[in-house]
Formats: sequence, C-alpha cells, structure tokens
Amino acid sequence: MIMMMTIVHPLTRFVLTIVGIALCALLMLFLLSIYKGVSKGSVSYVRESGADLWVVQRHSTNILRSSSLIPLSIKPILQKVDGIKSVSPVIFILSSVITAKGPATIYLTGYDIKTGIGGPPAIVAGNRVANDNEIVLDHSFAAKYKINPGDNLIIKDDTLKVAGLSSGTNMFVVQYAFISLQKAFEIAGYPFLVSCFQLRLCPGTHPAGIIDVLQDKIDGISVFDQQTFLTNNTHEMESGILPLLYMVAFIGAVVLAALLSLILSMHVLEHRNEYAVMKALGAPKGFLPALIIKQAMVLSLCGMLTAAVFIFPLLVMVEKISPEVAGQSSFLHVILVLAGTGFICLVSSVVPIGKLRKIYPLDVFK
Amino acid sequence: MGIVAMHRISKIYERQGKGTAALNQISFEASTGELVLLLGPSGSGKTTFLTILAGFQKPSSGQVSLFGKNIMEYPSQELQYLRARHMGFIFQTFNLMEGLNVKENIMLVTRFAREGRNQASKRADYLLNKFEIDPLRSSYPNTLSQGEKQRVAVVRALVNDAELIIADEPTGSLSALQGDQIVAFLKECVDKERRTVIMVSHDERIKHFADRTFYLRDGSMELI
Repeated sequence: MIMMMTIVHPLTRFVLTIVGIALCALLMLFLLSIYKGVSKGSVSYVRESGADLWVVQRHSTNILRSSSLIPLSIKPILQKVDGIKSVSPVIFILSSVITAKGPATIYLTGYDIKTGIGGPPAIVAGNRVANDNEIVLDHSFAAKYKINPGDNLIIKDDTLKVAGLSSGTNMFVVQYAFISLQKAFEIAGYPFLVSCFQLRLCPGTHPAGIIDVLQDKIDGISVFDQQTFLTNNTHEMESGILPLLYMVAFIGAVVLAALLSLILSMHVLEHRNEYAVMKALGAPKGFLPALIIKQAMVLSLCGMLTAAVFIFPLLVMVEKISPEVAGQSSFLHVILVLAGTGFICLVSSVVPIGKLRKIYPLDVFK
Repeated sequence: MGIVAMHRISKIYERQGKGTAALNQISFEASTGELVLLLGPSGSGKTTFLTILAGFQKPSSGQVSLFGKNIMEYPSQELQYLRARHMGFIFQTFNLMEGLNVKENIMLVTRFAREGRNQASKRADYLLNKFEIDPLRSSYPNTLSQGEKQRVAVVRALVNDAELIIADEPTGSLSALQGDQIVAFLKECVDKERRTVIMVSHDERIKHFADRTFYLRDGSMELI
C-alpha cells in the first residue's frame, strides 16, 4: 500500500506513465520480433534447400550480400565426382519488375524446374513454376503489391504469369521470386554463368572429403557444407541488420530509463513531506530506497503487461500495412524484454533514491 | 538519569556570517511518567529543542542523553529503530499519509518497529477503539476533521508502546475543546501507563495538564 500510494495518484499521470513504459517495451518487443522474423525468413531458403554442399565463386561466402558467378560448364565435372548424387545450378539476379503499384525489386532465382531443387521452400497459394513463362512470388511481396496467382508480371521485356506464392522467402529488404533456369538465362543475358550449384550427396558420403576433392579439381570455386553456408548467411544477415536494431533498442532503453527516472524523481519531490515523515517516524535505512525500487518494478511490470497484450495485434497490423515486415514474437521475447525492463527500472531508481538523501526528517518540524 | 537529558545544550544558527543562538546553555531532564510542557512564543527555539532532543539535528555544543546513552553514540540505524520502537511523534500538522487509510497510517510505524503484524494489529484496534475513532479505520485523512486527524496521530504515536512521546504543538491546529481532549488523552497515558510526554506549545491554557512547565525565551529556559 505504501508503495502504491505515491505512484497511483494522480491516476491520469499513472496511466500516462504506464503507456509511456508500454510504448518503450513495445518498441523493444517489436524490434526483437522483426529481428526474429527477418533472421528466420532471410536464411530459410538456404536452410530448407536440402543441399549437402554449396559451390560458389571463390571468396564468395553467402548468397545474401555477395555476388557469385561460376561457369555452367563445370556441371559435368561436378557430376563425375564420386559421391555426388545430383548437381543443381541456381542463378540469382536482382531485378526490377513492373507491378500495378509501380516498379519493385525482386531477387530472381532461376532453378531447374524439372528437379525442383533450388526452388521455393514452400508454396502457400497456387502452384510451382511449370514452364519458362511462369513465376512464383514471395507471398508478402504479392500481398504488398496486391498480386494474385494468375496475374501477369512484367520483367524487362517478358511478361510472366504468376503461378503461385511461396513462404520462407522474405529477406525483409527484398523478396525471392522463382523462375525457370532457362528464363533466368534469358533475363540475365549470359547463358553460360550461374550463381551457385546445390549438390546432394550419395548416402554415407562425407561432405568434407568431397569439398577437398572439388577445390583441388576446379579452380575459382569455394565449396561449403550446408551448416557452414547457413552460418555464413546468418552472420551476413545479422551483421547487416543487428547494429541498426541494437541502436534503436538502445535508444528505446535510454528513453525508458529517462522517463522512469523523471517520473519517480517527480513522485519523490511531490511526496517529500511524506518521505520526511517516514524518516522521522523511524523508517529503517533501506525501507525508502526499497520503496522506490518497488515502485519502479510495479510501473515496469504494468507497462510490460500492457506491451505484451498489444505486441501480437501490433505485429498482425504491421504485417497488414507492410507485408514484408514480418515479425515473429514469442513468450521468450516477452520474458527477455521483461528482464531488460526490470534492469532498466533498477538503473532508473538511482536518481530518485539519490533525491531521498536530500530529504531530512527535520523538514517535518518546519 | 532520566529517560532523556540535555546538558548545557547550545544551538547557534549561522545566517549571513552572523550567529544567532536558538538555545543557550540549556540543561533539562525528563523522567519516566511525567508530562513536561515547554511554552514559549514563536521563534523562541521550542522546535529546535525538540529536534535536538530526538536527534534530528546536532547541538552546537553540549550533550544529549536518550534512554541512558549519549545520543552521538547511537549508530544511525539504531537511532532510527529507537524512534520507531521507543519514541512516538505528534506533529502540529498531523503529517498523516494521504494515500493510506487510518488503520494503515497507524500500522506504518509498527512496520518500522518490526513488530509482529497480528499483535500490532490488535493493539491498533484497541487504541482505535479507545480513542473513539474505530468507525474511521478505513477512512482516508482528507475525509477526517482536524480533531479526528490529531487523534489518529496520537494513536500512531502510541501504537508501539513508545516510552517517550514527543509532541510538537499538538493543539496548534485544533479548537480549544479538541486541544484539551488531546492533551487529556496524553496525560492519561502518562498517569496510567507511565509514559513520558515532552510537549512544546505556545498555548498556555494547557499548562494545568503538565507535571512541569518550562518557559523558553531567547534561547534560555526557566521552570515556571
């Protein structure tokens, strides 16, 4: 009761404080959700490719932020290596498309539509690419530009029919789109170069042995096993987006700490006579600082609970407004932000606790 | 030695490089079971006297003894416990917590004194009943009359069975009748429960309740 008496009155300010804390917590939760959504979406193409080995141009380490061009002519050499079951060329082209809402950019992925290897990890609407005049779009890209299966899409001089929509193909800043390898060669204008080969190995074949063989046999390539390539791509994505998210989250945390510190300091100053009375009546040494910390905790808990209630509807709303911003929140995120908010509250209690020291029991007698 | 003793206490306030003596070489002692009244006009040093006696400020010179021990020898935590457990305070402006109801205001000091909750609650109920404010136990201070507020403040001062009650102008915000009732309550505590009350006031009307009355003028004290 003592803890609540100074923070709940006046009620309007209490509510506004909770809203402020909730917004800061919501910002942090939102950033975590975006991070998780982006990190999952960006590398799910690689993760779910089913490839055992990835062959790319030498010094290229990933497909997100590194260009790789290798000759298609090495395909027969790869196929002849013992232990390799299949060799699937894939070409990536960053390309402009014309939509009804204007030009947009997609990460065109040309793959062998007969084997399906290198194609979309999952289809959520329509069908896979069946011929050279069809394209599969990422579902968030399609939602953003209001494109449906059956619609036509103009890429350079070609008009392609949207065969279906895929999931797990949203890289946040750009989305995958899938076409046949033949069509990709036409669009790119160089039919003798691909971006990578996805290799599948015969059962029981050790990837490390194949990597050594391939790098000895073919100049100008790098070969990665699936796990290393996934790690490379994840690292690339994180190094691109994490500093930005960390900075915004840090600013949110500082704002929260400043807000709480200000509110709690104001409460202390407004109720200084009551604190002085408690000191005069014999409040033990740690009682009043503990009171401030409890107040900070109550405020942060109320703010966090409010944020936890609103984060999931917010993510749904954001995805409707901007489909490519696909966040994924979880109970763990809520716990993490709660712990972070609790820590910030402890930090923000320092200033108001300092103000307590300047309140003297003697003031009660004046 | 009495429950509280002051020996040759002086208090000089420095203002603009000039020293003003609020108390000048005062010696005083109060024993268990007496009501001591300190009268004096505004600015005579009455409140300074009380705050030095309770250890809220240090004298410029002299020595204060509280419960048989030099007040300077008490560690600050022990002094706080002493105030919560063995001393009760009554203020002119009551100083009740606006956000707490009557019972919570009273129970607050029992928390400071680390008393058992059940026992403290029983004692609070007894005093609420005795001071005829039991029906107000759930009321908040802003709904109480001045007289009711001061009765709550008195109960708060008594709830821990404090041996020493320090009252700073306890009748100052009350009507003559209400003031008399409060001082009569305190006198009853002194006579029946052997408590010590040290009260400062400028209200000479109440001196007939006191066992001893002192008059403070220009920093000097005399028994009247």
